[in-house]
Amino acid sequence: MGWLLAVLAGALTGVLSAFGVGGGTLLLVYLTAFAGTPQNLAQGVNLLYFLPTAAAALPAHVKNGFVETPVLLPAILTGLAGAAAAAWAATALEVELLHRCFGGFLLIVGARELFSKR
Amino acid sequence: MEQKQISPLRAALSGGAAGLINGFFGGGGGMLLVPLLGRWCGLEQRKAFATSVAVILPLCTLSCVLYFFRGGLDLALALPYLAGGLLGGLAGGKLFRRVNMTWLRRVFALLILYGGGKALFF
Repeated sequence: MGWLLAVLAGALTGVLSAFGVGGGTLLLVYLTAFAGTPQNLAQGVNLLYFLPTAAAALPAHVKNGFVETPVLLPAILTGLAGAAAAAWAATALEVELLHRCFGGFLLIVGARELFSKR
Repeated sequence: MEQKQISPLRAALSGGAAGLINGFFGGGGGMLLVPLLGRWCGLEQRKAFATSVAVILPLCTLSCVLYFFRGGLDLALALPYLAGGLLGGLAGGKLFRRVNMTWLRRVFALLILYGGGKALFF
């Protein structure tokens, strides 16, 4: 049963991920708040999870002309530097503290989403 | 149609910020990157969504490698989610042009707030 729920949760959040609407964030919420996965392992699952999901969605986006190519190089270069530093910090931090930070992040994101005009 | 020029500096700063969030929380970079690309860099909304997927993919790949070497990766735990995600991703790419973004975002916001409250206060 557990794995069936996991496949379903993965599929639903996968649809959202393809839209770029924070499907990954939702999967993290599912893992930590509903499935009881420790924060650091949940983050690892989410990272792994995003790879095939994004790779599957990208060809359609490119074909439909939705990917703005001039943005890619500068954004990816600095993004890689930021991701390396932050991934190092996150895996060095105590899991409980990381979980609380994540909670704060969610509240900010959720409130912004709910009250923003668009 | 006049082509708008997008500032490479803004694109770079947006990507850097998304990288920090994405590496630290193992996700969520897109939630920052989509509004940055849209409102700050001036991309049309659907382009902002799709472009953010293309930017975040390499960042996630790098974070994954780092998590792997530092012990935050459990492949067996991730496998069923991966299988589901692959199906959802394919469906999502095709449905992309036909969804009501406003409702999607509202439902999304409520779930996120629930998760945030639970992580902080329980």
